[in-house]
Amino acid sequence: MTDKSTVPAGLYKDTLLAGLWRENPVFRLLLGMCPTLAVTAAVKPAFTMGCCVIFVLLCSNIVVSLMRNLLKPHLRILMFTLTIAAFVTIADLFLKAFQPMMSEVLGPYVPLIIVNCIIICRAEACASKNGLIVSIVDAVGMGIGFTLSLCVLASVRELLSTGAIFEVQILSLLKEGGWFVPWAAMSMPVGAFITLGLLLGLVNLVSKKGQLKG
Amino acid sequence: MFKIKFFFQQSWLLIVASFFFGLLIAVANAAWQGKILQNEEDKFNNLAGEMLPEAASFETALEEVEVDLGKGKQKAITIKKAVADDGRCVGWAFKCEGSGFADKIKLVLAVDAGFEKLKGFGVLASNETPGFGDQIKLPFYRNQFIGAPAEKLVLSKTGDSEKVDSEIVAISGATISSEAVVHIVNTFLPQIKNQIQTKGLVGNDG
Repeated sequence: MTDKSTVPAGLYKDTLLAGLWRENPVFRLLLGMCPTLAVTAAVKPAFTMGCCVIFVLLCSNIVVSLMRNLLKPHLRILMFTLTIAAFVTIADLFLKAFQPMMSEVLGPYVPLIIVNCIIICRAEACASKNGLIVSIVDAVGMGIGFTLSLCVLASVRELLSTGAIFEVQILSLLKEGGWFVPWAAMSMPVGAFITLGLLLGLVNLVSKKGQLKG
Repeated sequence: MFKIKFFFQQSWLLIVASFFFGLLIAVANAAWQGKILQNEEDKFNNLAGEMLPEAASFETALEEVEVDLGKGKQKAITIKKAVADDGRCVGWAFKCEGSGFADKIKLVLAVDAGFEKLKGFGVLASNETPGFGDQIKLPFYRNQFIGAPAEKLVLSKTGDSEKVDSEIVAISGATISSEAVVHIVNTFLPQIKNQIQTKGLVGNDG
């Protein structure tokens, strides 16, 4: 357990940066693969999914951290699921009310955040063992890391399947007098697997080079 | 007595948390439910309005109309009457749905005032394959339904897509999605037509 008097120097910074690279949920821990593959055909839905995950992760980490001393070991998973399900339902209702188009595009993947391994993993590994501030920093780091990973994957797929990123046309299409022929396959599941595989390989390569230099 | 005490000692947090989260969801639902229903209503009205441009408003004509989807499944839908500025009935619109290639396809179907010709369909929700099945949203396919007789439609793989009749030409590479839309129309249209005629609403300008 971490409290103010025993916080090691640089803990918050380390916790925040862990989610961005060293323990990135998508590229290093391979968690949350369902939304990673399913909602990354375009950047907008990927970004919306990332924001929903940040909200749920932050709220569930706060609640789990606050009640960590009251948790019975055999009921903890049940409590985590209950907490996560409540905040996912709120996120889903919010999207339906204020982002109806995105809610339709994301479809069942918003309710499926309940079973997203990142959130239950952070509740178990961090929030149930640490104080409030560390849990919040961890949620922000992991959430941003997840969102950035989704956006990188979605940018590659959207660019190759439509010639645009965030619906802004980057490559001029052949049918509009340009040169680029969109790869329809990149917006389909096959495109998600290929792009994820290539990015995982790239991340591993960069990590290995970093280790060798270190 | 001991068992009850033990039960509460073990599970009081779960009971309190369930109550708290239930309350939280109820508050969020109460706050946003109106907006969610309004969004659904707006989307229906926009799609139906595109197909029935003369309509100034949509009034509920029949509620809880049971449609037999086959295999013992039923679906209750609401039929809306499109009313022009002068109060004339200019058509009918209703939601319908069925299985597509990837997921359920939800449509808005519009028919003329006499329930004789289709005014077209609009896609409320579909997760069909991008570049293939999602072409059901494009004019090439949708335009074939505009003016088609309000009777059983037939899907063909080849034919003249410009000709307005009961034959719908499938989208190349998306036969299942094309078939799904025709199947949805064929499932809902005759049953709704029957209900409207039974209630004596067809041709009623009031």
